[in-house]
Amino acid sequence: MSQYTAPIRDMQFVMRELAGLDEVAKLPGCEEVSADLVDAILDEANKFASGVLAPLNRTGDQEGAKWDGGNVRTAPGWKEAYKQFAEAGWTALACEPEFGGQGLPKLVATAVMEMWKAANMAFSLCPMLTNGAIEAVTLRGTDEQKAAYLPKMVSGEWTGTMNLTEPQAGSDLAAVRTRAEPQGDGTYKIFGQKIFITYGEHDMTDNIVHLVLARLPDAPEGVKGISLFVVPKFLLNADGTPGARNDVQCVSIEHKLGIHASPTCVLAFGDHGGAIGTLVGEENRGLEYMFIMMNEARFAVGMEGVALSERAYQHALAYAKDRVQGTEMGVRGGPKVSIIHHPDVRRMLMSMKSQTEAMRALAYVVAAANDAAHRDPDAAVRAENQAFVDLMIPVVKGWSTENSIDIASTGVQVHGGMGFIEETGAAQHLRDSRITTIYEGTTAIQANDLIGRKTAREGGVTIKALIAEMRGVVAQLGEHGGEEAFVAIRRSLESGIAALEAAVEYVLATYGKDVKAASVGSVPFLKLLGIVAGGWLMARAALVSSMRVAEGSTDEFYKTKIVTARFYADHILPQAQALSYSVVNGAAGALALDEAQF
Amino acid sequence: MAILVIAEHDNASLKAATLNTVSAAAKLGSEIHVLVAGANCAAAAADVAKVAGVTKVRVADAAHYDSQTAENVAALVVANASGYSHILAPSTANGKNVAPRVAALLDVAQISDVTGIESADTFVRPIYAGNAMATVKSSDAVKVMTVRTTAFEAAGQGGAAAVEAVAAGPDLGLASVKGRELTKSARPELGAAKIIVSGGRGLGNSENYHKLLEPLADALGAALGASRAAVDAGYVPNDYQVGQTGKIVAPQLYIAVGISGAIQHLAGMKDSKVIVAINKDPEAPIFQVADYGLVGDLFEVVPELVKAVG
Amino acid sequence: MKILVPVKRVVDYNVKVRVKADGTGVDIANVKMSMNPFDEIAVEEAVRLREAGIATEVVAVSCGVAACQETIRAAMAIGADRGILVESDVELQPLAVAKLLKALCDKEQPTVVICGKQAIDDDSNQTGQMLAALMGWPQATFASKVQLADGVATVMREIDGGLETVEIKLPAVVTTDLRLNEPRYATLPNIMKAKKKPLETVKPADLGVDVAPRLATLKVAEPPKRSAGVRVADVAQLVDKLKNEAKVI
Repeated sequence: MSQYTAPIRDMQFVMRELAGLDEVAKLPGCEEVSADLVDAILDEANKFASGVLAPLNRTGDQEGAKWDGGNVRTAPGWKEAYKQFAEAGWTALACEPEFGGQGLPKLVATAVMEMWKAANMAFSLCPMLTNGAIEAVTLRGTDEQKAAYLPKMVSGEWTGTMNLTEPQAGSDLAAVRTRAEPQGDGTYKIFGQKIFITYGEHDMTDNIVHLVLARLPDAPEGVKGISLFVVPKFLLNADGTPGARNDVQCVSIEHKLGIHASPTCVLAFGDHGGAIGTLVGEENRGLEYMFIMMNEARFAVGMEGVALSERAYQHALAYAKDRVQGTEMGVRGGPKVSIIHHPDVRRMLMSMKSQTEAMRALAYVVAAANDAAHRDPDAAVRAENQAFVDLMIPVVKGWSTENSIDIASTGVQVHGGMGFIEETGAAQHLRDSRITTIYEGTTAIQANDLIGRKTAREGGVTIKALIAEMRGVVAQLGEHGGEEAFVAIRRSLESGIAALEAAVEYVLATYGKDVKAASVGSVPFLKLLGIVAGGWLMARAALVSSMRVAEGSTDEFYKTKIVTARFYADHILPQAQALSYSVVNGAAGALALDEAQF
Repeated sequence: MAILVIAEHDNASLKAATLNTVSAAAKLGSEIHVLVAGANCAAAAADVAKVAGVTKVRVADAAHYDSQTAENVAALVVANASGYSHILAPSTANGKNVAPRVAALLDVAQISDVTGIESADTFVRPIYAGNAMATVKSSDAVKVMTVRTTAFEAAGQGGAAAVEAVAAGPDLGLASVKGRELTKSARPELGAAKIIVSGGRGLGNSENYHKLLEPLADALGAALGASRAAVDAGYVPNDYQVGQTGKIVAPQLYIAVGISGAIQHLAGMKDSKVIVAINKDPEAPIFQVADYGLVGDLFEVVPELVKAVG
Repeated sequence: MKILVPVKRVVDYNVKVRVKADGTGVDIANVKMSMNPFDEIAVEEAVRLREAGIATEVVAVSCGVAACQETIRAAMAIGADRGILVESDVELQPLAVAKLLKALCDKEQPTVVICGKQAIDDDSNQTGQMLAALMGWPQATFASKVQLADGVATVMREIDGGLETVEIKLPAVVTTDLRLNEPRYATLPNIMKAKKKPLETVKPADLGVDVAPRLATLKVAEPPKRSAGVRVADVAQLVDKLKNEAKVI
């Protein structure tokens, strides 16, 4: 079964009761936002995701995008779905109203994005990359570039791409070799080859706007010598319509483990005299601009982790309720039961569910902080929120995506032998999830950013503030009295926080004097922060739920949430101890061997 | 008080749905009158007179009842409603068209799709697409209802009811039927079919699929479906596919021929009312969901079945 | 030409309802609610008629609890111009709804009322026909194609075994069948605009309508479960069972 229904109730809960939708709605520029409007948007996005995008997920995986020597044909149904997607206005959700966007807050955009990604990750990459391009042009483009490209990209009429990677320049973008030669008329000729360009070529729109990193002739070596250019697939006529074909060709597409329907292109610029482009912002500052967008992109990939986990969970849950196998444990000669009755299947499902909910909670809370960081009238509030966002984005990205692989794998396990068979569809989620820990910066790159720039460099100010906030929740749990679930959650969260604190102290003490030793523990540290932050938010969720129940709510959702939070506290949060141990003690074993000894 | 049944007919003959409705009326325990509104509908009225349990046939024969528009028929029913405790119509397109109109004109509720009669004022009917059964009690003086025909036996023959003419009402002139296109021979659509004959890999190849299953489908007026395996093997196009990744169906009768019963297939058809499985493997999982299982060689069984139902 | 479209808030069609243990009904507390799918088709048809220049205004009406406003907003997101909520906490049965709609028709004077043929909760399939009766208007139920011209609606209807084309005088009631159209996905700009469209609230008493239920629900139960299957020996026995026991052929 490959149906998908957005978990709207949990999305609403997280938005309203954990991420502070009401507060976001009070921010300047968000005046139109209300719970009603958000519900209507979620409802309609869910209809589109489940009705249009989800049914194409599997056929897209099977058919894939096809390259015929120059053009790329997207999978059957893709072109029509994209047209509908753009016509429905979804591409414009969070874009600036000045260029036709709706200017909705990131919190709302995040929930909607989760639906696109869960319904059809391969499809969702196209609008995601377009958004990156829109943002680059919005932030640093010239007025001419804005006028020429933004309305068309915001409306979805044209799509955008990000051209960073080259064969020799992957994680290390300092090695970019693509050249840009000024023509003296304000344009540049671009020469070089880019790889791994998502939706670099396709048949869904009549133009594609490439943003390309390249070096000017006199540029300094390394990261400070890279500039950013806009290079459209079709040059624009005087009236702004697509005209002559630019000298950028798709020379092949990759055959991948997953996301088959998303064309991953090799683009050749300038094989026939030079691709014409224009400079974005100032010379030699391209990488800096890319980093502005990097946070967005990393967050979006983190959402892929959340989304795929949700999809894999729904898939496994449906199967577990349906598949009859064996009798209930402890019942002799009883009737055959569906496998959801078996304790280990339950454990697997709860593990999938509780982690997915924790990841969603963290991502949405970060999204709301991002809104405050951009829109709050008070500069101090903006700065405080920005620091929290900066700290947590590597976690949203790294933790959610690493988890999604495990969760999708657990989803296969729930299916037993049927899960290993492609026809069942569970395997696709596992294959699709596998890229998420790699692109937009591998988990190690996220983790290095987290322990270096986001923790050690600022002396742990932000992370310590977060730990203090978490301790506040422990205190609230303490006030809650002796209810068993809350005692368990409190105990587990308290020791999780202590484990995190020990790891933070180690990183702060070690990073400056032995960066390698600190870095061995970087990925465990990232997971540790993710797990404890997830525990903190699940505990908050349990507290809110308990309050709602006490107020008389009969909504099963709240009771379920308390149980889910308790499962998380008992099964997931205890991993914090092990991770903290590895952070603090793990360097010696990892670094001691000579290369020859491997 | 007597019960009035609105006859379902095409002037030339009575439709079977009326027989089930008469059986439902009989459970209410009163005298049963049947109203035949039509044009040149004496033949249909004569059919009604022979239905066991009917005591009186009331015939309104006029040109403007030819196509039995709801506006004219409802007005006629209301004009003749006095003295009846219950007014029944079958849950057919016609019955559903007319009965609510009658009820509103009488200022009473209408009870739709009745599947059970508990007493003269208490009825059982499906709600939420049959996922729940509601027992409802009417406080109205006249109970107007439509009857789900599959829930009641057809009334037998052997009656000899009196046939009397009823004065036709005026032609309200609000609606006129311009034409009807009735599908006769074409196979029904999978999603809408009452009977589906579905084939799996047990058929061996495309030629066998068509050679064996088409005559059976035609004999039963059934739609044709297929398992994922049969589609993957190229026997039939993908739009035949029943299952999780194909169409979800719930016909009255689902005949699975040479289908082993993979979970993904079962998910697409397990809500069928009656499931028949024909398979040579007695252990095939399809038998766990089948109401009637026949273990045997489908190459012999299917032609035999065509003869038996043809 | 004004078109009135009644829309009902029902349990979402994806939700499998559960019968309450005490047999008093189905459990709809905290269940996802949506616009009745047939009503969505009705809204779509009305909006298409307005877009084609045949209708000038589409008014969405919902009768029920305050939350029915969401359903009206959903109709507005598809394209309805304004909304009327007849707010009532009483269980509204088809006859009561038809009377409320009659009162609104008397006031609004629409040329056509397009209703869903039935609601997927109570599956009554009555309201449109009842409204037509109360108004003394013609009706074209189960429509799969609608054309309006010169005071006449030409409607193709889904009837048992095929299709029928009927001409009805306007004003009239049309009820929609599944094949009439495929409702669009509301666009994001229209969802946002819907919030600002006018929505008026009235009470049944304002319209002078008695909405007291005529049917009392005594019990709601699970449908009977499938009985365990049997093996048949041969074709003859199979055919006999299908004819006489299951009665499906």
